[in-house]
Amino acid sequence: MPSPPPVRFRLNGQPTEVAVEPARVLLDLLRDDLRLTGTKRGCDLGTCGCCTVLVDGRPSLSCLTLARLVDGREVTTIEGVSPPQGLSPLQRAFVEVGATQCGFCTPGFVVTATAFLRDHPHPSREEIVRAISGNLCRCTGYLKIIEAIERAAAGGA
Amino acid sequence: MHLDPFELHRPTSVDEVVGLARDLAGRFDYLAGGTDLLPNYKMHLNLRPHLIALEGVRELRGRSLERIGAMERLADVEAESALLAAYPPLGDAVREIATPLVRASGTVGGNLLVETRCFFFNQSQFWRQSLGFCLKADGDRCHVVPQKQKCYATFSGDLAPALMAVDAEVEVAGADGRRRLPLEALYDPEGDGIRRLRLRPGELLTAVHLPAATRGDPGAYLKLRVRPSYDFPELGVAASGALDGGRVRRLTIAVGGAEMRPVRHDSLTAALVGERLSDDRIRALADAVERATRPVHNTFLLPDYRRRMVSVFVRRAVERLREGTAG
Ligand SMILES: Cc1cc2nc3c(=O)[nH]c(=O)nc-3n(C[C@H](O)[C@H](O)[C@H](O)COP(=O)(O)OP(=O)(O)OC[C@H]3O[C@@H](n4cnc5c(N)ncnc54)[C@H](O)[C@@H]3O)c2cc1C
Ligand code: SF4
Ligand code: FES
Ligand code: FES
Repeated sequence: MPSPPPVRFRLNGQPTEVAVEPARVLLDLLRDDLRLTGTKRGCDLGTCGCCTVLVDGRPSLSCLTLARLVDGREVTTIEGVSPPQGLSPLQRAFVEVGATQCGFCTPGFVVTATAFLRDHPHPSREEIVRAISGNLCRCTGYLKIIEAIERAAAGGA
Repeated sequence: MHLDPFELHRPTSVDEVVGLARDLAGRFDYLAGGTDLLPNYKMHLNLRPHLIALEGVRELRGRSLERIGAMERLADVEAESALLAAYPPLGDAVREIATPLVRASGTVGGNLLVETRCFFFNQSQFWRQSLGFCLKADGDRCHVVPQKQKCYATFSGDLAPALMAVDAEVEVAGADGRRRLPLEALYDPEGDGIRRLRLRPGELLTAVHLPAATRGDPGAYLKLRVRPSYDFPELGVAASGALDGGRVRRLTIAVGGAEMRPVRHDSLTAALVGERLSDDRIRALADAVERATRPVHNTFLLPDYRRRMVSVFVRRAVERLREGTAG
């Protein structure tokens, strides 16, 4: 079989070109082909939010995004949300507050909340709760995660 | 979970879509946001060898008070406060669909055409094979109503009842050209959980049209679900209407999440036109809608509970409408 045509997109700022079959989702391309394993595969069905990445700045469930459809777009994964040195204020808040236990859900929360705080720099607690309601965490009980997002919002003010 | 191979087509105009649909007759699915289709494909439910992705078709975009393109994302509709305020049931419904992450990709068209659901259908291939496949995918019997050769899978979209209640119309395009029909006419009363739409072969949904006549009318959409941040509706009731001097000028009730299609109960609301919305009349209407609704046991909550919640929700929704008029 001839190899499929490549998709070209920017991945965490880097121009990327990679051949990918139509029946392949972005999550598999990132984790299995490009070895960016920060993005997690939880349910693989759109229910847990662990696989969230940004496509043109917009949160997207990479388990339900066909890889070919990011052609020409800008993809940001958890590996791309930190500044060149150190952590983003939101990541630092996660560490300081202790908003992570097993850590499996953390990349999804951080990516989701990064986009959310960009669009809502001064959110209410209720808005935060709503914004992360598509991300599942089986460990923390969410309170620390909410606190971390509040802290990052307050710090960024 | 892997997806079986398919060919992916990326047309950029409605004409191109219609041409592809004609060439691939019966061997393709449309792909909008993919939040319904791709989970089903991952579970090997009714795979087709071609997908026609609609994301590149500009004409399917655009939102205003008059028209919402089929490919508009739910999250973008949710951000249109003027639109949601103009059609309160739409506002209530869109904010409660799935999760914010699903709404970031899911579209209006995909929501209206979302696949019907059943506890015995939305399962992995392994699970379904173990029990024995059913009529809706790969099998020849129904596990819910075994005495019938018919599928009772539940229509579980939230927008349909909300938009039906405000008299929305849909525009479709196909080999025979374009046509516009009332939203409720999209769902086939003669159909079942498998053959559920009145679209002609290959037709696609292009837009939803919102009428000026119901703009600003009070109303509500109430949704029953197990986990409020996430689940499909186990029942959804929309009410919309207008009162003149305390008397009903217009009143519609639409029920989704309960049967194989969303249903508008015009014959039951017609009797209230010209009347005052007394508590007794609201209760009688609520009971009548409940009697007309027959859920089966194929979702998480028991059908008797869902059925009894119909009258509770109709009553609450109409009371909200009455308060909305007073205030
Ligand atoms: C975790 C989770 C929770 C969910 N909860 C809810 C919920 O609470 N309420 C709810 O209503 N839905 C829910 N959904 C289902 C789904 O996400 C939404 O219904 C969504 O709006 C579907 O839109 P889409 O663009 O992703 O559709 P797709 O998956 O792309 O398509 C759905 C179907 O419609 C067809 N289609 C799409 N667009 C067109 C068009 N323009 N013309 C012709 N055919 C078309 C497709 O071929 C497919 O059969 C949930 C999904 C997930 C994963
Ligand atoms: S209602 Fe019956 S035929 Fe339809 S999906 Fe469920 S088990 Fe299958
Ligand atoms: S892995 Fe994508 S939502 Fe769970
Ligand atoms: S920290 Fe373990 S799932 Fe969230």
